[in-house]
Amino acid sequence: MSILDRSIVVSFEVNGKPVELITAPNRTLVEVLREDLGLTGVKQGCDDSNCGVCTVIMDGKAVKSCCVLIGQAEGTKITTIEGLEGENGLHPIQQAFIDHFAIQCGYCTPGMILSAKALLDENPNATEEDIREALHGNICRCTGYKKIVEAIEAARDEINAQA
Amino acid sequence: MKMKFEKYFRPATLDEALKLVQEYGADCKIVAGGTDVVIRLRSQMLKVQTIVDISAIPELKEVKVTEDKAVIGAALDLMTLSKLPELKNSQWAIIAECAGHVSSTQVRNRATMGGNNVNASPSADTTPGLLISDAVVNVIGPDGARDIAINEFFTGPGKTVLKQGEIVVSFTLPAQDDRCEAAYKKFSIRGDTDIAIVNVGVRLGLNEDGTVKKARVALGGVAPTSMRAVAVEEYLVGKTITEDVIEEAATIARDSIKPISDQRASAEYRKEMVYVYVKHMIREAVAKIG
Repeated sequence: MSILDRSIVVSFEVNGKPVELITAPNRTLVEVLREDLGLTGVKQGCDDSNCGVCTVIMDGKAVKSCCVLIGQAEGTKITTIEGLEGENGLHPIQQAFIDHFAIQCGYCTPGMILSAKALLDENPNATEEDIREALHGNICRCTGYKKIVEAIEAARDEINAQA
Repeated sequence: MKMKFEKYFRPATLDEALKLVQEYGADCKIVAGGTDVVIRLRSQMLKVQTIVDISAIPELKEVKVTEDKAVIGAALDLMTLSKLPELKNSQWAIIAECAGHVSSTQVRNRATMGGNNVNASPSADTTPGLLISDAVVNVIGPDGARDIAINEFFTGPGKTVLKQGEIVVSFTLPAQDDRCEAAYKKFSIRGDTDIAIVNVGVRLGLNEDGTVKKARVALGGVAPTSMRAVAVEEYLVGKTITEDVIEEAATIARDSIKPISDQRASAEYRKEMVYVYVKHMIREAVAKIG
């Protein structure tokens, strides 16, 4: 079978822009986002659905893009870390991560921020407990979660104050 | 490692999906959420040439909750299921509760009831809930539809009675008695994100006089499949729940299992945890009945 015979056409939206690509089907969303679309803010870690660094927001929900087949992205709206910055600069969650020093090596950070965004979009008044539950699938191996949770709580308050 | 499959189909109807799984036979794997299948495709534990993705079939995502039964679509994501008000406030609330214990937010956003059970992991979180609710697996295949009792569905780790070309459509939960409540608990090192070392589900129905009318006890992580602890159930029926009865039921549960020792826990530890958790779950079910 030739490569063309087994290719599929997939259309979806990434960070507000339509994408249409012809690709072999045996690829995951994280591979396509990084290799074809150059969105290397989406990290590839365990590739085993454990670590959460590949987290993206798909139709409003945080998902691990290492276990989404590219064909399953058809018709969806995807947000990666590259899509968070607005006209007025960094997203409040991004800014809060900087202000609260919620970053060490930074590898888990895009996934952490996207999990936090999906949570706050759904539940603007998320408590510390809600935040910790939402981040359970995102692993930081540098140190811990205290600063990260503090940053998200601060971002929550900032977003609610702006609203 | 790269996944090796060559063909990918995303049927929009169940009929179309059935034709595809028949056409490609043993060389095809059904995927819904992908949280397990994609990983096994990449590790090449699964070597198929064709993928049939059933996640875009609307009828597989339906949930119907009425007075006399609930029907849960096999391909609905577990996050939606775990938060569904009509299920959480029903006699089958335990199904939503178990769904909420499956792994992390991101995984629950994709994983499905069908996948969590067809996967046939002995420590699956949703299976004890189905076992103690006498669920029926509704399957469709080349020879038409058939219903399989959940306690006859699993045959071993990763193995079920499903035949080639069959697709799980939904799970039917029959009506439960009044004064009947269920409880579920998993034991794992790192909370829900982690695989259960053991898990225990208990459903108790009480008569007006307080004696046990019906008992269901399900254990996970202690046998090749999730299992009903029938000896415990039989012991409990007719009893008034006292601390002595709870102690005896937990002892029977511990003595009726032959778990394995592996990297997660020793056999002795699993037996001890089952003993403790059966006690907790009986107390919790009774407390819920009030």
